[in-house]
Amino acid sequence: MVIIPLFGKKKERGREEGAKDKEKVSEAIKGVLYGFAVHGAATAALKTRMHMEHLFMLMTLGDMLGFPIIPPYYSLKILPYVVPNIKSWKQRLFRERDFTDMLSG
Amino acid sequence: MQVGYLETPSLWIIGALIAYAVAYYFYARWVDEHIWEVSESRTTPAHMYLDGVEYFPVSRYVLYGFQFKSIAALGPILGPFIAVAYGWVPALIWIIIGNFFIGWVQDYSTIMLTVRNEGRSMGPLVYNAIGERGRKILLGYLLFYLLIISAVFIYLVSLFWNVFPGSFIATIGIIITGLITGELLYKYKANIFGVTAFAIILTLLSVGVGTVVAWPPKNVFGPWSLQVWSIILAIILFVGAIVPLPKFITPMNFVAVFPAIGGVILIILGALFSPLGGIKVLQPGFKGWYVQGVGPLFPILFVSIACGAISGWHSLVSTSTTGKQLDVETDARPVGAGAMLTEGLLATSALAAYMVVSPDLIAKGKIAAFVNGATLLSAFYLGGKASMAYLSTFFAIFLVIYAITVQALVTRYWRVFSAELFRGTWSWLGNKYIATFIGLLLPILFALTGSWINLWIYFGGSNQLLAGMALTLVAFYVAKMRKPSWYSAWPAAFMTIVTLAALLWETYSFGLSTFGLAPVKAKPPLTQYPAAAWALNALFFIIGIVLFVLGLYMSYALWSAYMKARRGEVEAKEVST
Repeated sequence: MVIIPLFGKKKERGREEGAKDKEKVSEAIKGVLYGFAVHGAATAALKTRMHMEHLFMLMTLGDMLGFPIIPPYYSLKILPYVVPNIKSWKQRLFRERDFTDMLSG
Repeated sequence: MQVGYLETPSLWIIGALIAYAVAYYFYARWVDEHIWEVSESRTTPAHMYLDGVEYFPVSRYVLYGFQFKSIAALGPILGPFIAVAYGWVPALIWIIIGNFFIGWVQDYSTIMLTVRNEGRSMGPLVYNAIGERGRKILLGYLLFYLLIISAVFIYLVSLFWNVFPGSFIATIGIIITGLITGELLYKYKANIFGVTAFAIILTLLSVGVGTVVAWPPKNVFGPWSLQVWSIILAIILFVGAIVPLPKFITPMNFVAVFPAIGGVILIILGALFSPLGGIKVLQPGFKGWYVQGVGPLFPILFVSIACGAISGWHSLVSTSTTGKQLDVETDARPVGAGAMLTEGLLATSALAAYMVVSPDLIAKGKIAAFVNGATLLSAFYLGGKASMAYLSTFFAIFLVIYAITVQALVTRYWRVFSAELFRGTWSWLGNKYIATFIGLLLPILFALTGSWINLWIYFGGSNQLLAGMALTLVAFYVAKMRKPSWYSAWPAAFMTIVTLAALLWETYSFGLSTFGLAPVKAKPPLTQYPAAAWALNALFFIIGIVLFVLGLYMSYALWSAYMKARRGEVEAKEVST
């Protein structure tokens, strides 16, 4: 009477652990395949977007930096959308970059 | 037919596997815990500078796959072809020892170097150690290095297309599959699993079509066949370098991944289970200390098997991307050491493919040796003789894919580097069309000689010397941290001496042909134009001198910095916490 429920619990726990292990293995295989096939491309795409965003920010904030590119009227209209990104934009733009950094895309 | 384990490559592969496991679980763990003292709680640059673009934490599995894909190219597959000219025993010993004591040390430590230095890549790390001149010389060295890689890879792809009928059709099939896949994924937002299955089927079909059609035959363009193939390849690479990545290179690489992984698995399985197929080792274990046309075993063996044992390219990948995306420091060992030791396994399996082919193929320098060996290793469990023709085309494509995907990126890097390098009055050289054109024209001219083994040794020499520099850099930073630096300094010294010797040997041998003391290194049809053949030899002689001088300067400057750090003359490095 005592042994059976304990055995059952153990079995259940074993099943749970087995399911967790399976999940881990599946996650590992998916991760390795993603890294092998797509990660480099995804990083390169992110960098392309970063460069595009730099240009966008320069266009919209250009007049405030001394480079009037579009009329201030439009700059002011876009400003609320741009303001939240200013900090991270500055962080990315002013980061030291070297030719060996370009190898990542 | 079953044969004994000792007669097949199987036991040697298992032995290598055990050595790599010991390296990973004992040596790498010891370095991880006692020298770098990694900690899960120490913040990595991926978290410190999180921007979602360059710096962001990535799972160790994803980074392992990325690192392996970025470091595995033709090096571990074709390198053993040259090395086996001395016999398979020296090649095997170098692959195992190289991986055990040097290969993973560099990949792992350069990742840690970036992690502990605010995510800096190779250029800024060199700048911090030896200043601006060192950084500029590194850039010049890398430009020559890219040119040599391009010359070797462009020549080899042209050779594969020429030698293996049907491989060109299959390559075009895979490129078209890549373009369709790109459109389906990016433009029509189709389901990724469906598109992947579709791409795999089309890829296998392309190989099938190539096998059945088996066209064009060898030397279809007459004596200038290789040169015509080089130009066709250059057109493809030119398009790849100037159009946006998602339009061409990204989907092509995505499609190419599947045969690339498939081929690796097939060779490893074939080598491990070779006793079941009765596949015997046919190559002699040792052939001699000197091979005509290749050179002396020391130092050439150590630069011929490049990426399979140690490669400077890996340090560029580790510092430019992987180190910036490491989630926790404890991931550096599975990612850096794990990926390198897996590549060591790939090199060992590729060596197995050369071990089982006829010694004549190696002696005559037939590039088909790998395809024949790999087909033999995998055909016995994949349908026997019936599948051999298909597998031959598949392994020919396997070689083409490894070369073409890397070369497409190298051409692109050349363009980006040129834009960075040429400013002011020289800015026109940085124009994307002109830079790409030059980046393809020069390697094609270099490849004209047809002496790909000599080019490969230049490539291996410059690549391994870069590894020597990276290891010295590691020793410098470790000494600054007041930790034992021998684990990196000794391999650095060995690699620096060996590779400078190899570069010197190759320069000397081109010097002999330049000054008329030895026959000019050239193959038909260039031999019909002695003046052009001589000019190219002279050019290689000059390139050899330049690579040697730049390499010597960098090695000297880095070693001086390291010795200063050892003597405590450099400020101790504060480890960020």
